[in-house]
Amino acid sequence: MKVFSGRVCKTILLFSCLLLLLVPMAHAEDYDQIFHEANEAMGSGDLPAAITLLQKIPVSKGDDNSAFVRSRMQIARLHFALKDFAAAGADAQEVLAVYPDNSEAKNFLASVQRERKSRSAVFLEDCLRFLPQLLKGSVMTITLVFCTILISPLGGLLIALGRLSSFRPVSTLCWFIIWLFRGTPLLLQLFFIYYGLPSLGITFKPFTAAVLGLGLNYSAYLGEIIRGGIQSIEHGQMEAAKAIGMTYWQAMRRVIIPQTYKRLMPPVGNEFIALIKDTALVSTIAMVELMRSADQMFNAYFNITALILAALIYLLFTTIFTFIFEKIETRAGIYENR
Amino acid sequence: MKTANQPLISLRGITKRFGALTAVNGVDLDVCPGEIVVIIGPSGSGKSTLLRSINFLEEIEDGTIMFEGSEIGYLRNKHGRRHLDTPAKICALRSEIGMVFQHFNLFPHMTVLGNVMEGPLTVQRKPADAAREIALDMLAKVGLSDKRDVFPATLSGGQKQRVAIARALAMRPKLMLFDEPTSALDPELIGEVFDTIRSLGKEGMTMIIVTHQMGFAKEMADRVIFMEAGSFVAQGTPEDFFANQMEHDRIKSFLTRIL
Repeated sequence: MKVFSGRVCKTILLFSCLLLLLVPMAHAEDYDQIFHEANEAMGSGDLPAAITLLQKIPVSKGDDNSAFVRSRMQIARLHFALKDFAAAGADAQEVLAVYPDNSEAKNFLASVQRERKSRSAVFLEDCLRFLPQLLKGSVMTITLVFCTILISPLGGLLIALGRLSSFRPVSTLCWFIIWLFRGTPLLLQLFFIYYGLPSLGITFKPFTAAVLGLGLNYSAYLGEIIRGGIQSIEHGQMEAAKAIGMTYWQAMRRVIIPQTYKRLMPPVGNEFIALIKDTALVSTIAMVELMRSADQMFNAYFNITALILAALIYLLFTTIFTFIFEKIETRAGIYENR
Repeated sequence: MKTANQPLISLRGITKRFGALTAVNGVDLDVCPGEIVVIIGPSGSGKSTLLRSINFLEEIEDGTIMFEGSEIGYLRNKHGRRHLDTPAKICALRSEIGMVFQHFNLFPHMTVLGNVMEGPLTVQRKPADAAREIALDMLAKVGLSDKRDVFPATLSGGQKQRVAIARALAMRPKLMLFDEPTSALDPELIGEVFDTIRSLGKEGMTMIIVTHQMGFAKEMADRVIFMEAGSFVAQGTPEDFFANQMEHDRIKSFLTRIL
């Protein structure tokens, strides 16, 4: 019996040892089971139950992909989802206590801390983060706007005078330019200049292509506006100018065109405000301006603040332009005050 | 006031058509230096068109314009078709003939002084000082020196027309054309414009005036011409015209209508 019991004892001991050896394996299977059950609990919407399940997985050292890390990060995300940011932070801290270099836990902790701040503080932080890039983009936007404002009124005046010319080839050419640039999308024109013309052997830098596209397009629009302005001036003005001996061009330069300024301000102001926004289109031809910068920030951080900021900057520009044009309009028409 | 040696301007067979309408039909007219000719007639009779033809604001189909003895304004190409002279030539001719319009046509974006300076400055390319001096002289002549720095919008109709006269005079024209200079004015403002024209006449300015103001025609004109349907129907000194031509039915009915 003793022998038997001794053998039995040995066997039991051996089994126990074997069992002890098998325990970790059995645990691993248990953890999978736990994760599985937790997933099911999450699936049915019972997040606290999922947390309780996952918490059964003990603290352990190993690699960063261990069940411990996975479970604690999952718990942290669940706490986050339940808006228990203190607990979520504690979960991440728990991981960091064991694995101080775990980047997932670090990032998570950062976003928990962001979440625990007031919304305005977060917004302010985002603003400070995005503004430098956006302002850089704004400088390009403003540069484009100013280049176009320098070019297009001159181009527009030439087109307008060309349209009014009694020399048919010139008036037809100007009609054609207006027809072409007003009748096709600006986006297409930019594409054609930047991506299309190189196949004909004409290559532009993005900035040149952008200014060329915007300049031509806006010249065509302004051409029609200026022509309307010139034709709205009473015929008697041209006759009076001619009667004192002025040539057609002297009359245009000294008498007719100066009188169009006030009348041109509202529609031209409209065009230039549209221009500020249309510069966003050049982001499609490798130009980094305000819209492009905002888009980059938005994609990198998936943060809507970048877009809101860009909108505010565009609004700021258009507001400034509105006021400038109102001032110019008043000044231009000062002779009409009685 | 007639110093009738050679006419300053003489028109022969002036004809202007607008499509099927013949606005001026073969008009002859000689105006001597210092003479004041007043043209009256119903609206649409071609008075304004005739004046505008003299200043090349209308291109005539037929006829010749002689100014100081030489034919002006039109050339013939090799096919014998007539066309207006070069723009430079036309501008030079216009600067010798002043014109005042019914609706003043002042340049609203320039001050009164700016309006009067504009001709000497831009057309004659005088330095600003000289142009300014001429303009101030002319404004003094029409009695508006105190208004020199205001914009036309602040002036009364009569003042506007006097500025317009000063603007034309600043070019030192040899002939002045007035196209119904008082028709757009309130009755009480007509006097000041006629006073200005009257003083010009006293200085010996040659003038052709289209007007409906018979009183002015009687008082100022050396010759009154009645125009109808593009032709001169009758003309004479004011005394003859108003005394004898009253027998002419058309003129009588016209005069009774407007007086």
